[in-house]
Amino acid sequence: MDKRTIKIVCFAGLRKYFGGETTVVVEPGATYSAVIDELKLVNPEANDVLASCRIAVNEEFVQPDEKIEAVDTLFLIPPSSGG
Amino acid sequence: MKHLQYDEINYAELFAEFRNPNSGAVVLFSGEVRDNNKGRAVTHLEYEAYEPMANKMIAKILEEAKTRFKLNQAVCVHRLGKVDISGCAVVVITGSGHRKEAYDANRFIIDRVKNEVPIWKHEFFTDGTSEWGQNCDCVSNDHEHQHQHQHHEEAK
Repeated sequence: MDKRTIKIVCFAGLRKYFGGETTVVVEPGATYSAVIDELKLVNPEANDVLASCRIAVNEEFVQPDEKIEAVDTLFLIPPSSGG
Repeated sequence: MKHLQYDEINYAELFAEFRNPNSGAVVLFSGEVRDNNKGRAVTHLEYEAYEPMANKMIAKILEEAKTRFKLNQAVCVHRLGKVDISGCAVVVITGSGHRKEAYDANRFIIDRVKNEVPIWKHEFFTDGTSEWGQNCDCVSNDHEHQHQHQHHEEAK
């Protein structure tokens, strides 16, 4: 299996670091935490906010230690601040 | 029902629309925009959401509250876009036979929405700066913390 490129959609305060969307390249069998690690390398200034983000796939949250599903797009969700 | 809207929330209309003859108690909570936050003067807020997911999550929270607190009605609508001072940012209406369930359920819903649903507040200050907010004070024990506490300040 080859490495694959995944689109990452960013919201709110994350756009300052990555724009509205970016891409990362992941190894076959990688977990979601690898995406976060990769983004920390892309922009180390975002380390703190990335540590508190969650990832959503198909409108559901996923766990960092799960393997990345066969999807093209991940949604990076910073801490909620509605209300 | 759509739980997110860019238009002003008319909570009086919502209140009337969801009146239920089985409800002896109806509680309406309106989260409104303050003109200050942590000692800084605020001009307005802008809300953003991951809309399909936020809408789905609010619907699920309302269903859970209805079952758990035996509600006759449960409504939640959150604003998106620009909200001025004293504008309604979010409304929660709960109705039940008696007041305890309506009060408890209302608190349960607003806490879950604020802490879990992918909606974000961008605060604009009178000094021209803005900041992406974060609700959690990380002192409360009424919910699980899935994040660290921080703010992300940025110049205008």
